[in-house]
Amino acid sequence: MLDYPTLLTILGMGMVTYFTRVFGFLLLRNKTLNDKQTRMMSIAPGCVFIAIIAPEFLTGTLGDILALCVTFIAALRLGMLGTIVIGITSAYGFNWLLS
Amino acid sequence: MSTIKTPQHPFVQGMITAFPLLLGFVPVAFMLGAEAAQKDFSSVLIMFLTMVNFAGGSEFAAIELWTSPPSVLFIIFVTFMVNSRHIIMGATLAPHIKHLPKRKILTTLFFMADEVWALAIQDISKQHKLTPSKKGFRFDFYLGVALSLYVTWSTFAGLGAYYGGMLGDLHQYGLHMAFPALFIVILVSMWNGKHNALPWAVSAAVAMLAYQYLPGGWYVILGALSGMLVAYFQGESDA
Repeated sequence: MLDYPTLLTILGMGMVTYFTRVFGFLLLRNKTLNDKQTRMMSIAPGCVFIAIIAPEFLTGTLGDILALCVTFIAALRLGMLGTIVIGITSAYGFNWLLS
Repeated sequence: MSTIKTPQHPFVQGMITAFPLLLGFVPVAFMLGAEAAQKDFSSVLIMFLTMVNFAGGSEFAAIELWTSPPSVLFIIFVTFMVNSRHIIMGATLAPHIKHLPKRKILTTLFFMADEVWALAIQDISKQHKLTPSKKGFRFDFYLGVALSLYVTWSTFAGLGAYYGGMLGDLHQYGLHMAFPALFIVILVSMWNGKHNALPWAVSAAVAMLAYQYLPGGWYVILGALSGMLVAYFQGESDA
């Protein structure tokens, strides 16, 4: 059942994934960053988050988009658990109402 | 963000912090398993895949593209494309972990899935605010987050392959909103006014454009890099 191509694919996936995780670290390990570079790297996490969720506004249903807005408002007030629960229930609610 | 100020061990704190995310991980992993079963994966095999790879997006892509036998290089290439955002994430973590012993660095990076990285970045800035003199990265906290998500992901992928399509389409339950919600929580905590506004707007616009017109995971890379570039030059005019 575990044939050779399957094993090879899975191990190859694991290797390239680990490579992507190690490579960025190796690039910056021995660098001392100047002010501009530090500012750029400190803004990077936010930019990654934005880039991951932005297409949701294109692909999501109307219910999803409304839920994202409600989730955003919830995030201004609540902690992580509260916001995630609100996100899930509002997506469920809006999609149910609008379907 | 509410802070946990109990004397718990950082590992336990990590597990508690990761807990809300399990709401998203359990059903999504279950669905991954169910889809893998359609491609003749056994529970053990999908668990093996998730334990070796531990990067959900690329696993869905791989299963989607899986044929019998699989086209080895193609799937490996797609995996690389989808996961290349990790390069930026690893770079952001580098200054916080490079003082650690090598085995801890390699362990940290092995578990650096999006959500683990996100919670680590958030914990680093939280710790840094509490005690600015110390390094913010807490390895034990990180392991607590990483292992609870790792074990959950793999276990439920295995269960999903066994019990198969009981769940149906996830979208009807709204559970797909768990990860965007996490990211929004962290974004809100990162907001500091004018310095973010322009880079974030550019990131969002470029990511949407790239998502429309380019294949694979390019939208995350290009979106993130364009915002970073704006921040780089914006710094120049402020200074």
